[in-house]
Amino acid sequence: MPKHITRLLLVIVLAAVLAYVGKQWLTVESFYRFGHYRGNSVAEIASDKPKYATPKSCETCHAAKYAEWSRGVHNNPEQGKVVKCEVCHGAAGGRDKNPNGYNSATGAEHPKNLKLEIPADTVRQCTLCHEQMPGRPLQQKQIVVATHAGTQQCKVCHNVHSPRTFVGALASTSKPGNPAAGKAIAADCAACHGKLGISEDASIPSLAGQTEIYLADAIKAYKKGLRKDETMMSMAKDLSDSASENLAAYFASLTCKSAQDGETPAAARGQVLAKKCASCHGENGISKQAMWPSLAGLSKPYLEKALKSYKAERKNGMMNNIAKNMSDADMADLASYYANVACR
Amino acid sequence: MTQEGIAVEDKATELEEAGRRDFMRLFGGVLGGGGIALVAAALLPEAAAVADKPDIPGYDWNKHHWSFGVDATKCIGCLRCVEACKVENNVPKDPHHFRTWVERYVTLEGEEKTHIDSQHDPVNIEAAGADGKYRFANRYKDAKVDKAFFVPKLCNHCTHPACVQVCPVGATYKTEDGAVLIDHTMCIGCQYCVQACPYGARFFNEEIQATDKCTWCYHRITKGLNPACVEVCPVSARVFGDRNDKQSPISIFLRNNRVTVLRPESGNAPNVFYVGIDKEVS
Repeated sequence: MPKHITRLLLVIVLAAVLAYVGKQWLTVESFYRFGHYRGNSVAEIASDKPKYATPKSCETCHAAKYAEWSRGVHNNPEQGKVVKCEVCHGAAGGRDKNPNGYNSATGAEHPKNLKLEIPADTVRQCTLCHEQMPGRPLQQKQIVVATHAGTQQCKVCHNVHSPRTFVGALASTSKPGNPAAGKAIAADCAACHGKLGISEDASIPSLAGQTEIYLADAIKAYKKGLRKDETMMSMAKDLSDSASENLAAYFASLTCKSAQDGETPAAARGQVLAKKCASCHGENGISKQAMWPSLAGLSKPYLEKALKSYKAERKNGMMNNIAKNMSDADMADLASYYANVACR
Repeated sequence: MTQEGIAVEDKATELEEAGRRDFMRLFGGVLGGGGIALVAAALLPEAAAVADKPDIPGYDWNKHHWSFGVDATKCIGCLRCVEACKVENNVPKDPHHFRTWVERYVTLEGEEKTHIDSQHDPVNIEAAGADGKYRFANRYKDAKVDKAFFVPKLCNHCTHPACVQVCPVGATYKTEDGAVLIDHTMCIGCQYCVQACPYGARFFNEEIQATDKCTWCYHRITKGLNPACVEVCPVSARVFGDRNDKQSPISIFLRNNRVTVLRPESGNAPNVFYVGIDKEVS
């Protein structure tokens, strides 16, 4: 083979070897493993530790709160509305270590040291989703803060873990009682509340057909002095919890009778006002929740007295707020309305 | 070549002819053999890649095909997704770097132009109050609004990603299971990809000195979790899943909805599918 050809071949081979060695040396590990990128970077990216956990991981330690939440309106998978723990409390599995971050870790990650956020300003927190705003779809529950609650914090009335359940109602520990056992004790009540729970005296409430848990709670509240009425406090002082529950079950089982005083114009005015009461006391005053009283058919003087007492001295976070903005005339109209609707 | 020249060549001796042929054979053989070897060397990793998979415990990227759905008719603009994404992925907390964001489209009565704002609008930054907190200011509450809606946005993880095509160093790529990722150790920060993306989904992260973007929370989805934004969305406006699984949320979403993608004319073939967006959205 001619010399110059050999040289040319040598140069070509040398260049090829140099190119190959150079490429091997300059190319990072695993670069062409899957394509024109560093193959190992996929596993590196995938190896990051997730920060957001799931509600199930919260349940391990916070079972009671989890149960409260999982039964409530903020956990409604059928409608696709699920407000998980970490939506309000922040990521549970470790936080950002960025010193400028608003929720920098103060220690090792939760649950060892790191405290999760507990939103202090519930108005700010809840209105992130529930403030009435153009652009929010109609199916989203929205409020105008000024007219809905004024300066009140949402948590005064709503249980933050299950917002439709109100705070007062959640406190109830009463269980359904035994009506037959209650009937024996009920004889003591008949003098004032009537033989079958239908009161003859308009200032004393009828109990027949009233919601059960509410009645039991009321008796217990009189016993503990949380509700103040001399007669009732002395009547209730010797009743055990189970006796109170049985008594409540008995009255709840009786057939109610509407007061029907026939004050139609006042009742019509009251009907307008009553729309605001419906979310707790039920459409037409028949409560669907055992912990809140039905108002339908109760006597006007009793209802009026109750509303006035909420405006004055009687303690109830929810009712105090409602009653404080009502005039005496409003109360009278509202009482008329409920006195005249059918109680079942 | 002249007539004479041809005549000269015609007279070439058999020996010379044979020498030239030998040379061509030899040279061709070397070239051809080398070429085959090179092609084989180039092709082998490609062929191997089909069965090969990254070393992710309990995860085979050949068995998944991820896609994302957005139902804008459900979005309430609460920005929980934006906050969660920042925490989950260590995105700078300032209101100018986002892997995912939400846009608000508002048309007022009698106006043709649509007002578009996002959480990094100064008015919304002020309403949020602090870095890392985001909220939409209720700036249109007293206005006569003809139409308004929110649209969550994120990287579209396109089938033909323009950003990957322009990367000069192979720092960004499309995975077998459908995600477009960035290898931060290879990124030289030239930001060609930021320019190339038709959706503005990429940004330069000064803290890590590399370009950054949504990964569909690749570290979560490879462990069987949802991306953080999907995890926290309180109204299920964001849907994620594996299209290989016909009962996954995204398969059901795509089956039951007439979906669209953003800027289909760009040819990127996005894998984020939208329901309920209007003509102004792109």
